[in-house]
Amino acid sequence: MTDLLRVRDLSTRFFTEEGQINAVENVSFTVEAGSVLGVVGESGSGKSVTGLSLIDLVESPGRITGGEIWYNNADLAARVEGDQPEAVDGDFVDLRRLSEAERRSLRGSAFSMIFQDPMSSFNPSITVGEQIAEAAEVQRRASANPRSTRSRTQGYGLGRMLLDGVLPDRSYTSEESWDRAVELLERVGIPDPAERAEEYPHQFSGGMLQRAMIAQALAGDPDLLVADEPTTALDVTIQAQILDLLADLQETLDMSVVLITHNLGVVARVADRVSVMYAGEVVERGTLRDVFDDPVHPYTKGLLGSVPDIDQPGERLEPIAGNVPDLVDANMPDRCYFADRCPKAMTDCLTRPPEYEVNDGHRARCVLAEREYSEADAVSDERLAGPTDDGAAADDGSTAADGSIASDAEVSDD
Amino acid sequence: MISPRTLRNLRSELSRSLLAKLGIAILAVILFTAVFAPLLAPHDPTEQDLDNANVPPLGFTATENQTSSQMVDGEVQIVEEEVVVNTTTAHPLGTDSLGRDVLSRTMFGARTSLLVGLFGTSIAVVLGVTVGITAGYYGGRIDDALMRFADVMLAFPSLVLAIALIGLWGQASLRIPDPLVAFGIASAEMPENIVLPGTVIAVVALVNWVWFARVARGEALSVRDQEYVKAARSMGGSDLHVILRHVLPNSLTPILVLATIQIAAIILLESSLSFLGFSGAQLSWGFDIAQGRQYLSSSWWIATVPGLAIVGAVVGINLIGDWLRDALDPDIEGQGGAP
Amino acid sequence: MTDPLVTVDGLEKYYYENDTLLDRLTGAEPEAVRAVDGVSFEVREGETLGVVGESGCGKSTLAETLMRLRDPTGGSVTFDGEPVFELSGDGLNAFRRRAQVMFQDPFSSLDPRMTAGEIITEPLAIHGVGTSAERRERAETLLEEVGLSADQIDRYPHEFSGGQRQRIGFARALAIDPEFIVLDEPVSALDVSVQAQVLNLLADMQAERDLTYLFIAHDLSVVRHISDRVAVMYLGKVVEIGPTEEIFENPQHPYTKALLESVPRADTDERSRTVETIRGDVPSPRNPPSGCSFRTRCPELIQPPWLDVPQATFHEIGEFRTRIENGDIDVDLRWEQVGDPDREDRAAFVDSLREEAFDTELPADDEKTVREAIRALADGDRETAAATLRERYRSPCEAIEPALPAGEHPSACLLNEQPEDVETAREEWEADHDAPEAGASSR
Repeated sequence: MTDLLRVRDLSTRFFTEEGQINAVENVSFTVEAGSVLGVVGESGSGKSVTGLSLIDLVESPGRITGGEIWYNNADLAARVEGDQPEAVDGDFVDLRRLSEAERRSLRGSAFSMIFQDPMSSFNPSITVGEQIAEAAEVQRRASANPRSTRSRTQGYGLGRMLLDGVLPDRSYTSEESWDRAVELLERVGIPDPAERAEEYPHQFSGGMLQRAMIAQALAGDPDLLVADEPTTALDVTIQAQILDLLADLQETLDMSVVLITHNLGVVARVADRVSVMYAGEVVERGTLRDVFDDPVHPYTKGLLGSVPDIDQPGERLEPIAGNVPDLVDANMPDRCYFADRCPKAMTDCLTRPPEYEVNDGHRARCVLAEREYSEADAVSDERLAGPTDDGAAADDGSTAADGSIASDAEVSDD
Repeated sequence: MISPRTLRNLRSELSRSLLAKLGIAILAVILFTAVFAPLLAPHDPTEQDLDNANVPPLGFTATENQTSSQMVDGEVQIVEEEVVVNTTTAHPLGTDSLGRDVLSRTMFGARTSLLVGLFGTSIAVVLGVTVGITAGYYGGRIDDALMRFADVMLAFPSLVLAIALIGLWGQASLRIPDPLVAFGIASAEMPENIVLPGTVIAVVALVNWVWFARVARGEALSVRDQEYVKAARSMGGSDLHVILRHVLPNSLTPILVLATIQIAAIILLESSLSFLGFSGAQLSWGFDIAQGRQYLSSSWWIATVPGLAIVGAVVGINLIGDWLRDALDPDIEGQGGAP
Repeated sequence: MTDPLVTVDGLEKYYYENDTLLDRLTGAEPEAVRAVDGVSFEVREGETLGVVGESGCGKSTLAETLMRLRDPTGGSVTFDGEPVFELSGDGLNAFRRRAQVMFQDPFSSLDPRMTAGEIITEPLAIHGVGTSAERRERAETLLEEVGLSADQIDRYPHEFSGGQRQRIGFARALAIDPEFIVLDEPVSALDVSVQAQVLNLLADMQAERDLTYLFIAHDLSVVRHISDRVAVMYLGKVVEIGPTEEIFENPQHPYTKALLESVPRADTDERSRTVETIRGDVPSPRNPPSGCSFRTRCPELIQPPWLDVPQATFHEIGEFRTRIENGDIDVDLRWEQVGDPDREDRAAFVDSLREEAFDTELPADDEKTVREAIRALADGDRETAAATLRERYRSPCEAIEPALPAGEHPSACLLNEQPEDVETAREEWEADHDAPEAGASSR
């Protein structure tokens, strides 16, 4: 299977008053063409920011500070090669090295995104059809005149704005785009699409609106759809409908999907490959089977152990102790970020682990990929009580001490 | 009731904002002047000195309209005499038409303005918050009734309402002996009473409580639906307990901010009333402006100096209001913590 | 079997819209929203009764009404023999001590201006238990018990993480030694790893202190994990109730079955599991469907005695009928789409709509009826179109409201055992309605 996207060492930081927050740190993964990559993690793991970084929607005070995003598109590569040969590698183009305008022109046509809350993703005062038609219109104009889309206003110049004010009947969208909007609504399973297109967002239910948002995202025939918690706000019966729809669309349109979620069941339902994120890092990645049936990283195991099984309820859950760290740069210890919550922390964990290869395509950022756990090397809680937020560290009541930063001098010679 | 975090926010916002510092400085100066007016004022503000009437501020000239017509060589000539006065420091800001010292009057006038501002706002806050929280917490018909009444109050122009109420109640005022004079700390020549214009205070409070009622009601409505209020009720907390322990403390921030803005508004209202001659106060910025109005063309300082004092006080208080609003903003204060 | 601690009988809570002063003056009809519509169950001493349902099914309103945080519209709740809605004075005080609530939102459930210690001791202070030093000591013990440390007593809520806040909320509920705690979605705002910590804590405390829980949640796996018995709610009604094992292994109501199937499993076999998703959305409680409230989405809708078409076909026809009845189909727009604004070619209109509305082949008689309805629609006669379909495809589910019979594992569905009066009503209905002639024009 060919790769659509190769992400290398992507880092995104937020520069806030509390300090620098390393939301995404040296994240690497690959999205294969026509497949679904699930990105799982708890809140604060950096999974949403990873999604935003992919399509370059990180907003101030955040900034992508490093890394490469190689996108497989022969046409784009041929076009860019003349100006920027360093940004091209075969059919792949490094999006990070393209101009801002060039990247923007890819949004919608190459990548698009859907969000958790469909209610706030639509403008309440414009009909749903109009909003989808607008997305279609942008793409229509782009393909008709590739230069114009790279202009800043995309045809929405001052003159147009004034005209629109004087002549309210004028519409940005053409008849053609409207028909496309109706067609898209039908494609995502909305009954009576022609009628519903003329309704306003508040007349749609949550599930319908989520479908409409998917329709909008599909307007530009994207190669990649980034879905950030697309079903979290929905009830289970509606969630099942939306997941079915996503799987169906992905298959028939041969699109790639990056599905960001905290719900392991959702990942299991639609993903081919899985990346597990913790504290801004991908701690384990591989095929669904690799990660779910044969997890290496204790965090992945802990996550799977925390979910109550609806079919075989166990007596007791095995949660992970403690809380997710706050990702403030100054508080992040120079060791494995998970060590203080890890039941198998060893002296090896006092240095930052690299990404180990477990087997082909299955990688984990944990030394356990290389060696067995041994009691002899276990590291005490005091040494791990790093300079994290002490409120969080004390959650399990075990590591409340004001420990010092684990020093490098005591790293075992193993 | 003020958490350490709130104090921290107040401090950090203060250190960041130059305008907040300026506001505090202005208000501190006015407050200091008002309290120690008998010590600071160079003259008794009510002492008349008709020989030295209409003296301009130090270093300024005044054109005295002493026009006289003289017969010169068979023609009538109008002679305008230009008098340059005030090189002495006796009246640094000049005197008014009765020869009273403008600086002293402005210093004493600060007392009236601040007293009316503080007392008027306090009464308005108590009244408005009581009504507003009751309406918001209980909702339903109580809310309907109280808020429709408040709407009716809002429909009257505040000045007209104030004048009507004063007309109804007369101009009662309370005279409190000034301790600085009574204990002989300040010169015995100074006025021996502080005049508390009771009617004016009651009236400005009645005119302004509606704003507090509206804000308090809105806050109470949103706090009422918070789960901690439900929790307190489920534990068996009485309405009074819930209101005093949860609803009131969590509604206070915007009320506090509104109060600072309303002090300024009330000072302006008091000045308007004094200007129109309805307050009965003889020592007030508004009264002085009214007095100086007719001399505006010849003796501009009589009205301008108290006018500037009003501008200063209002700007200072509003700057403090901005500071409180920024520092107590629920986005900064309420949530936070780990994302 | 132990005795019931809490008995809920026919509980109703309606909200009224259009009920402001202005509305009353202008004479607008108040509109009832039936949040809780006749709910009966009991919670036995020492057990955990889970209540599941989707958003808007009324489960949280149920909890708040049951705790007397909202005034009920009808019905009764009995707590240990005492009628809760009639309590006052000491009786009410006692109830407030013996029953507690823990809420969902870790942010809004704790007063941001109170310290952890003040929050936990609030119920003690309200009921005047102990001196303030004793209360503080109690708060310290409780903090330790729920897995926090006693020296965090003077911190404010914002200094804690979501999981820790929920622990404080639970400590507050425990402070006054209650017997019964209503847990309203206590873990749904938490991350899975933290959720598991809190679930374990809830289970430990229940075992330690003999607590009775009413556990409200939308997450079925959590409910299965913690509950002894489960009640499933849909549109303000309990549609099925029974022992957890029974509900999950042998669900009776089509809604329960659909709900269980919809939950994605965190398992590598999940992709190959076929899920019959139920269609459509939850109807508005302002205007609930007649008869069985689940009938608009039900995959097992009962066909009238004269009809025998495949279930999928019956369902499609039913949906088509709903679209006509709700006026979802814009006839003018359809004519335009057919490309015949002069409205001459009725056959084209009929073909177009027929193709769009149905994926399956229709049996000849049904094809005839459907086309007749569309023809009426093409003439702009929505009433006749709807009546034509209603005549032939009306289901007993839309006429007869199922009830929840007594028993260990009852369900409110006409497919299952129903109380006698419901059965009688159904027989009468079937006797009253004869099979209409296929394609016969209705008056």
